[in-house]
Amino acid sequence: MTSIANTGDKPAVKRREFLKVLGASTAAGAAAACGDKPEKLLPYLVSPDHTVPGVSTYYATTCRECASGCGIIVETRDGRAIKAEGNPDHPVNRGALCARGQSSLQGLYNPDRYRGPMLRDGGELKPVSWDQALQTLATRLGEVRSRNQAGNAVFINQHEQGSFPAFLDQWLAAHGMPAHLSYDAEAPLATMSANREAYGVAWPSLDFTEARVVVSIGADFLDGWGHSVPQQLSWADARAKLTDAPRAVYIGARRSLTGLNSDQWIAAKPGSELQVVRALLGAVGRGGGVSIEAAAQAAGVTAESITSLANELRAAGSHALVIAGTTGPDARAVALAAAEINKALGAVGTTVKTADALLAYERINTTAQVREAVERMNAGNVPIAFFRGANIAHTLAKQTNVAAALGKVAFKVSFTSVKDETSELCDLILPDHHSLESWGDAEPMRGVLSLVQPTMDPVFTTRATADVLIAVAKANPATASRYGFSDYRAWISSRISGGDTGLTSALPRGLTNGSALAGAVPTARLAASASQAIGGTGEYTLQVYFSPTLGDGRGANKPWLQELPDPVTKVLWQTVVEMHGETAKALGVAQGEHVTVRTAAGELTAPAYIYIGIRPDTIAIAAGRGHAGYGRYAAGCGSDAYQLLGITENEAGGWALTQQKATVTKASALSRIVTTEGSARQHDRGIARAMSVGVLLGTEEEHDGEHHAFTGDASHEFLPGLRSPVAGDAQGDLVDPKSKDQGLYDPAHPLGLAKRRWAMTIDLARCTGCSACVTACYAENNIPTVGAPWQGPVVMADRTGFGANITRSREMAWIRLERYFEIDREPKDVAFDASFDTRFVPMMCQHCGNAPCEPVCPVFATYHAPDGLNVQVYNRCVGTRYCSNNCPYKVRYFNWFGYGEHDRAQYAFPEPLHWQLNPDVTVRGKGVMEKCTFCVQRIREAEHHAKLEGREIQGDEFTTACAQACPSRAIIFGDAASDAWTVARAAQDRRAYHVFEELNTFTAVAYLKKVNHPAARA
Amino acid sequence: MRGIVAHFKELDSLCHAIEDLKREKFNKVTVYTPTPRHEIDDAVKAPISGVRKFTLIGALSGATFGYWVAIWTSEYWPLQLGGKAYGTWIPYTIIAFEMMVLIGSLSTVAGMFINSRIPRLVATVGYDERFSGGDFGIWVEDAPERLAAVEAMMRKHGASEVRGEA
Amino acid sequence: MATTAQPDDMPMRPNIPRAGVQLPGVKDYEQVDREIGRTLNPTKAWFGGLTLAVICMLIGLTAVTYQVHQGLGVAGYEPPVMWGVYIITFVFWIGIGHAGTLISAILYLFRAGFRTTVYRVSEAMTVFAVMTAGLFPILHTGRPWKAFWLIPYPNWRLIWSNFKSPLVWDVFAISTYLTVSTTFLYMGLIPDIASLRDRETNPVRKKILGVLSLGWRNSEREWRHFGRMYLFLAAFSTPLVLSVHSVVSFDFAMALVPGWHTTIFAPYFVAGAIFSGFAMVWTIAIPMRKWFNLKHYITLNQLDATAKVVLMTSMIVGSAYLIEFFIAWYGAVPAEQEYFYNRVFGQWWWAAWIMLTCNMILPLSLFSQQLRRNTTWLFILSLFINLGMWFERFVIVVPGLSHEFEPWQWSSYTPTIVDLSILLGSFGWFFMWFLLFVKQLPIMAISEIKEIIPPKMKHASAGGHH
Repeated sequence: MTSIANTGDKPAVKRREFLKVLGASTAAGAAAACGDKPEKLLPYLVSPDHTVPGVSTYYATTCRECASGCGIIVETRDGRAIKAEGNPDHPVNRGALCARGQSSLQGLYNPDRYRGPMLRDGGELKPVSWDQALQTLATRLGEVRSRNQAGNAVFINQHEQGSFPAFLDQWLAAHGMPAHLSYDAEAPLATMSANREAYGVAWPSLDFTEARVVVSIGADFLDGWGHSVPQQLSWADARAKLTDAPRAVYIGARRSLTGLNSDQWIAAKPGSELQVVRALLGAVGRGGGVSIEAAAQAAGVTAESITSLANELRAAGSHALVIAGTTGPDARAVALAAAEINKALGAVGTTVKTADALLAYERINTTAQVREAVERMNAGNVPIAFFRGANIAHTLAKQTNVAAALGKVAFKVSFTSVKDETSELCDLILPDHHSLESWGDAEPMRGVLSLVQPTMDPVFTTRATADVLIAVAKANPATASRYGFSDYRAWISSRISGGDTGLTSALPRGLTNGSALAGAVPTARLAASASQAIGGTGEYTLQVYFSPTLGDGRGANKPWLQELPDPVTKVLWQTVVEMHGETAKALGVAQGEHVTVRTAAGELTAPAYIYIGIRPDTIAIAAGRGHAGYGRYAAGCGSDAYQLLGITENEAGGWALTQQKATVTKASALSRIVTTEGSARQHDRGIARAMSVGVLLGTEEEHDGEHHAFTGDASHEFLPGLRSPVAGDAQGDLVDPKSKDQGLYDPAHPLGLAKRRWAMTIDLARCTGCSACVTACYAENNIPTVGAPWQGPVVMADRTGFGANITRSREMAWIRLERYFEIDREPKDVAFDASFDTRFVPMMCQHCGNAPCEPVCPVFATYHAPDGLNVQVYNRCVGTRYCSNNCPYKVRYFNWFGYGEHDRAQYAFPEPLHWQLNPDVTVRGKGVMEKCTFCVQRIREAEHHAKLEGREIQGDEFTTACAQACPSRAIIFGDAASDAWTVARAAQDRRAYHVFEELNTFTAVAYLKKVNHPAARA
Repeated sequence: MRGIVAHFKELDSLCHAIEDLKREKFNKVTVYTPTPRHEIDDAVKAPISGVRKFTLIGALSGATFGYWVAIWTSEYWPLQLGGKAYGTWIPYTIIAFEMMVLIGSLSTVAGMFINSRIPRLVATVGYDERFSGGDFGIWVEDAPERLAAVEAMMRKHGASEVRGEA
Repeated sequence: MATTAQPDDMPMRPNIPRAGVQLPGVKDYEQVDREIGRTLNPTKAWFGGLTLAVICMLIGLTAVTYQVHQGLGVAGYEPPVMWGVYIITFVFWIGIGHAGTLISAILYLFRAGFRTTVYRVSEAMTVFAVMTAGLFPILHTGRPWKAFWLIPYPNWRLIWSNFKSPLVWDVFAISTYLTVSTTFLYMGLIPDIASLRDRETNPVRKKILGVLSLGWRNSEREWRHFGRMYLFLAAFSTPLVLSVHSVVSFDFAMALVPGWHTTIFAPYFVAGAIFSGFAMVWTIAIPMRKWFNLKHYITLNQLDATAKVVLMTSMIVGSAYLIEFFIAWYGAVPAEQEYFYNRVFGQWWWAAWIMLTCNMILPLSLFSQQLRRNTTWLFILSLFINLGMWFERFVIVVPGLSHEFEPWQWSSYTPTIVDLSILLGSFGWFFMWFLLFVKQLPIMAISEIKEIIPPKMKHASAGGHH
């Protein structure tokens, strides 16, 4: 079923009335969905009443990939979930969805999930029946209780919102066990703790649109820190105010994605943040106790930069926003001082909205508490341990020695549904449903209940943990009385106003009013070892950070995320040691040469990567890769940054990721950096353009010096509606007026295709480079991932291993995010300078009016459709690749191997990943060219739908996958030839330009220039 | 006896023999030579070869076909490519040219075959293998009573060998 | 004498072979038959060479099979370098082919007598080179089994090929070129096959040759039409050979890739083709005249003449290189300028300098007559030129694509073992055919050589005064 009307600024998503039908009969739908046999795709013999083969059904549910709890709408086709999109009605993400959220599908269909319960027998895990598994659990529980050791049991759960934590605690209590530990390695505990103290809430919502100055002290709010989607939405809306947009300043040793999106980078030494922020605090009138000079001295930056920043803050007053998210041992103190600045300036209430706080982190436990539990295990005091999702064996400091600790626990139960390092150490595996198969709820904001419902029948023979717990409790006479209800769904509905009918009526929107059980918030006592300095010896400070794509490592088993280039380094499938060119020179290493990093805690050898956005006295490594287990996509890929870190925690009990000095020495090996980057500079090609805000304010002349204007620059020759003066789409001015038969190109043709000109605008002032659009495209268009080791070139002469295809730049991303640094020489030769500008530009097929790729194809496999699309006919393509040679934008991708053919080594969708494939889109075969189609399947679907309803397509009725997902709302798609569509207006913006317009390609994609805010506004 | 075969070692003797035969109105004369010599052309005074007609016709029809197939196919099913016209005669000139050369050459060869009556798969009388080696030769067909005169003439011009063929 | 005087009404009558050459070492017609016939006897060395060629060919064949099964990914392509060794080698072999046609057709029209004894070899070289080249566009496609879609054939879908695409022009140019040059070769062979037939003693071979000779019997009438036909074929082949490499150059010139999009390509490619072709003629003819004891047929005078052609074409090609650089600078298109800088001093400097050294600098040695007449040097030089011309195509194809408009997509290129095996295989395939040819059919035009030798005359004064 097709996409539907776009209301206001909301992105167009799927039909609302459909959701009503479907939510109502969800249970039936799930039951009907074909599924017991995960091995085969069986068509329905008799369709369930509400499903029409080939017609999608939609379920509203809640994303569980991170703590935030965004609302999602899952598209299912014939009982299979095929796409996850943001729920426009949801207050948290307003229809947007990040790359990780969209990849939940690959968690659902992950080939390395447990197929069913397993029991350790003779050292190894063997499959058992559910009855036997539950029996075993019951007996073991009985033993523990009979020995009165239940009080020492430990249950570590992946932190989640909603009722389940409380439900779990009840169950544990009923069995005489203590409350569970809710663990999330990514949670910024220091900031939360400081927020609680300063604002009284763990996470006030940050309103960038109100801000005039945004100062981030290591708070990577665009890199996945905190709640990335709502933060990014607000940030983009703020920057889109152009002249009134906030000026952003980033303080930190490494310029993260947030830093690259900021207008100014103050590259403060790691560990000096506290002095800097206290100096600022002093400057805004509270006794910070640190002079600006001293702070500048400590931070290794100029005093002027801090002084002018202080002035800006004072000028902004209540419209200032200071966020701190450092990862050093003193992180809590820094966050607290930052919060003090906001309070001093009266920003609380304007930019820091404590009223509508986000509850995602309620009832979370600290890393310290989890570590202590592990230490108890190590001491042999724990009779039985439970794990659900929490992969402590990978995400805790290695000195904690989880493996040894678990060895000392008599019986370990894992409810984790994927083979991760922790569950592989357990004795009994009771695999949970994936969140897209389960019932549940979340309370992302006070009074907002976001529902979780199954979108399809379980892929494997798994069981919802809640139901397992209920079954165990019922089996036990002692507890049975308290578990009268049939299953977890019944329990949930019993807590919702209106009961089961209330739940059913709420499901279509996925939202209802009400509140989940507020679990007791465990008061994290502050660690004594407060704000100690960075430890260890060595001339470099090591900064470990959570990968924006893989998070703390939980994303590593999803090929979409492994193959999504890091927004900053553009590295994928690989762990690199980031260092500045000066550092590399000092060490005598070139890009790709391996270096050995040694800290007090451990050592690691990985290729060096030269990044201009990092202090020469600092090196950085992204966490997330280097898994020992965790499935075929994660195991052995990259190296584990955690092993370089000791057990140093901040006051708030959070693990410090910037805690060690390190020595770096050159190692012998050399490997190609697995990256999609060609040249990091634009070479004055004017691809990603920017303008100073002064130009918009009229105080500056626009000088487009960065782009050599060529003779024959044809931008002004566009006909109305981005129509090229010669191509036949949607204008009377046809290619060949003399020709008697114009076919479909005739404006009078009944199909009326020639009336339209599908086009797109991309606002670079909004785009942050987060790359959610890339994953959306992979999901929508069945794009194969090619970087897994077995997918590499298969001749001995070729590089093999992870990313082998990528090192030959054979990635297939139809839309790619180019990241250009505005520097005048290669990054390795750049002297350290914090004042470089960065441009992000999403690049996909530009659907040229005069496409150079078309005339060179010998077999008409690519041609110009009447509605302005540049069409690629896979079945007709013989693979001469001439079209790609002739494409100035280099957006055509070739199937070098049979990525879509299941009997090949390079097959990209191993069972059951191929269940996710979009039935509306061909899976391309070996030897054909492919490229962005502007989601032609959605276009045609909308056209057919309009025809069936006997109406014209309405403006903004639907949109492409990339535009739909974009958490910055940077992409607008539509028919530029009709004013009913927003894109027609957006393309008229004075910032609009076309890439390589001097080539007279008359592209259908108009980019709106990025707006820089260079100088401080007094 | 159908005719006389004469072998010559010297070119000029051959030419004189030919001229004599013509003077005596012997019409069914075939001259053999291992390699083309203009002296022989002069002696025989044969008309210019008709091969060129084939060449001209072939070339013209080839060029026409080249243009036609390209323009017709692209007008028949209009597809827009890079904003170019459907039937574009300028690039199609390449197709026309190649077709002109192809058909032209092949028809030239056909013309040669037809004019010189090859391929000829049956061995014929009045030929000697030495004619492709070192000897020049003449093969005269005529009424038996006149052949004696021919034989005499050949010998007069110093034929290295003269014999009758049945 | 009167009989041989030319009346004014007579049309112009070419007598190509004799123009300005003598073969003092060759006395009479029988000697020609004898000595050329002798070259057809197989020798051990020949069997050895053939075996080697077949082995190389099989290696290439294996690589192709492997590639077709696995997909083009096994070759070294590194997008956006979407064309690589296969297209380079395609252009290389097409270029080799051109010298053959130049010698047999163009020099025929220009009455250049020195062609006579080498043209058969070069013509055979042409045919086999084009046969080799023709394979590459097919095996470079992603779906070779669909490559026939490039040929416009009537089909019920009424989908034809795109006559605007240079690749379709290629299809027409290459297939025409192959057909015409094969015809040309065979036509020239007919009288010689007839002569072999008449010398042959083995009845079976005699029968086969009889059929192949189409019953040719050296009659004056046959010779007359034959001469006409040969003249017209030469007249067709001359513009054809120029058009073929121009069309090949359009594959690049029609694209807007910086460094490809230049109008100089057509003449530049044709000159380069002839240049490389003559080099290949040396590579083949010089050992041949030695091993087959044909020094008195392929004389130093003729090699000297070919050396002058090589020198000239080398200078044309060289100036084309320089003009490219000048235009890049003068045109002031940054993409183009950066590309040429990158070609010569950047990423690809080594390839560019191999090209410049082999094609521009070394051939200058041919200004010295001693070297022009030194067969050893000519042979060594010919190998360098072949190398240089392969790299010329490399320098055109790869650096252009690897360094285009979009910096984010700049890339590199390294051939894999599969690329190289197929390259090797192409040489095996070419030499296999060539070696089979030299032992089956006369490597020199018997009848045309006879034309050079003054015929016996009764009266000493007569003959040979043309």
